[in-house]
Amino acid sequence: MKLLTKYNRVNLISAVIVLFITGLIYYQAISYILNDQVDKDILIEEQETFAYVKQNNSLPKVVQYKDQQTYFVPVKGPVERRFINTDYYNVKEHDSESGRALITSVQVKGQTYQVTIVESKVETEDLIQIIFGITIGVTLFLLLILFVVNRLMLNRTWQPFYDILRQLKVFSLVDNKEIIGSSSNIDEFNELNSAVTSMASRVKTDYKDLKNFTENASHELMTPIAVINSKLDSLIQTGEFNAEQSGLLNDVYNAVARLTRLNQSLLLLVKIENNLLRDEQPVDLKKLMGEKVNQFKELFVNKGLVLECNLEEKQVVASLYLMDVLLNNLLGNAIRHSSGNGSVIIKLSADQLIVKNTGENSALHKDDIFKRFNKGGKSEGSGLGLTISKQICDNYRFGLSYDYQEPYHVFVVFF
Amino acid sequence: MKVLIIEDESGLRESIENYLSEGGNVCEVAPDYNSAMTKVSLYNYDCILLDITLPDGNGFNVLKYLKEKGSPDGVLIISAKNSLDDKIAGLDMGADDYLVKPFHLSELKARLMAIVRRKSFNGSNQLVFNEIVIDLQAKEVKINNTPLKLTRKEYALLLYFIANKNKVVSKNAIAEHLWGDGVDMADNFDFIYSHIKNLRKKMEEAGTGDYIKAAYGMGYKFTDQ
Repeated sequence: MKLLTKYNRVNLISAVIVLFITGLIYYQAISYILNDQVDKDILIEEQETFAYVKQNNSLPKVVQYKDQQTYFVPVKGPVERRFINTDYYNVKEHDSESGRALITSVQVKGQTYQVTIVESKVETEDLIQIIFGITIGVTLFLLLILFVVNRLMLNRTWQPFYDILRQLKVFSLVDNKEIIGSSSNIDEFNELNSAVTSMASRVKTDYKDLKNFTENASHELMTPIAVINSKLDSLIQTGEFNAEQSGLLNDVYNAVARLTRLNQSLLLLVKIENNLLRDEQPVDLKKLMGEKVNQFKELFVNKGLVLECNLEEKQVVASLYLMDVLLNNLLGNAIRHSSGNGSVIIKLSADQLIVKNTGENSALHKDDIFKRFNKGGKSEGSGLGLTISKQICDNYRFGLSYDYQEPYHVFVVFF
Repeated sequence: MKVLIIEDESGLRESIENYLSEGGNVCEVAPDYNSAMTKVSLYNYDCILLDITLPDGNGFNVLKYLKEKGSPDGVLIISAKNSLDDKIAGLDMGADDYLVKPFHLSELKARLMAIVRRKSFNGSNQLVFNEIVIDLQAKEVKINNTPLKLTRKEYALLLYFIANKNKVVSKNAIAEHLWGDGVDMADNFDFIYSHIKNLRKKMEEAGTGDYIKAAYGMGYKFTDQ
């Protein structure tokens, strides 16, 4: 529920309740006052009647004033004196109106008479109705005004909030856009603006620091790795090694090679994320893929993989280096994870590049596969290859998806 | 051949020096910017290995100085920065090649030899190893004047071996040289073995000696000794 709706609802409901209660009280009070007025008139009439009886010792003539009637009825028992609401029969208009009556008694020559003095309340009622009508009118008008004002006010007042919300929604650590708060004359919003703006820039700075750290750490690592590598190369020149020693040396070589690749991948990832590779140019993907396939020919043969290659013309504008990395990763992935004597199928068309390979007979986890350091237990890779591929595709607004279509693991790049 | 190694990391510098200073090669070293500038202003070298990040200066300035002087020295940049911009800047400024750390010493040697050959024979040259004659421009190999047909990778492999003759070249180094980044997909290096077997077979059939020797399961050595 939107704030405006919620606010309006609460506001209007409470206004209606309050106005309703006020109306009731108002009605009661006016009724009471007017009734009291009528009662006073009736009491005066009673006094006059009593005075007449006292003076003349006979009942006065039954008189019909304009809005007042007096009746005398002989009764046997005593009569309880009371006011009642009753009907008043308007003789002139031959119509029944609401009225107020006093029932009392008088004794004339030993005979008890019940005296009923009735007075019409029609004017009072009219008055009340007018007052009530006006009240209802005012109430409705007030509600309407409240509704409209709330709507306008809230919409306008909350504009800075919606502004900042919109910016927060598209906020990304990676791009260079800052959050710009629109100024407002509401203190809370200004505070929110400055809090969000400073938070965003702080987060960006931290993120940048972190990336710089990764980059620097990776760079710094390269030198000792280079030393280890060169020392190993020097070591194997020194003489004869037995099988055990050369086995150990091979393991060290491989570990250093992996470390190097891991480090290079991290650096590359930072660079792509920082958008530092801008050597954009038209890249002939067909030609590039052809070269890759040729480059990895021996690896296919060695693993007994059947390669099916179907390349159509396709050009993209991108960094040649990154496209090279992308194809390398996809192809390398396919070769690495192919079961022996399996097959790898590459299809390049104008709108997509499909690389599929046979492999383990179960689908990989679609959500995790592009995450960093997510890799199969037996994989010798860095665990960054697909992350890098995804990042490259994101950079050029290509799609990259994974699917398992038995028996193939299928990677598709959508251009 | 006279080589200057400008590199501040002593471990790496010594390894390179040891690896290169054999067979009549002379290696001089400069551990920092100032000594490097002194050396390049006084002497000429066939090739200069230049580290970009030096403790007291930028290696690019050394390169700039050399080019302003019109020095014919070959320059091979060795940098920990695998940055495309640096690479392009370096090559634009007149460096002959750019090698990213970490590298195999055999790769360094191969690149170095390529530069020196280009420089000394003006590009049109022959590389001779006993009965093997390689026309580097035409990329043709002749054994006793009979042409030997090699695939592109076998040709690259032969050049690599000759550049690193009498040295043990590790399988990793060979794989990286021939397959580049793709090499990390290989579960093992069997494919190198079969590759080398093919090259050796072709060469022996053409009448060369058995120069390619397996070295303790770690790599290979190209030698006539």
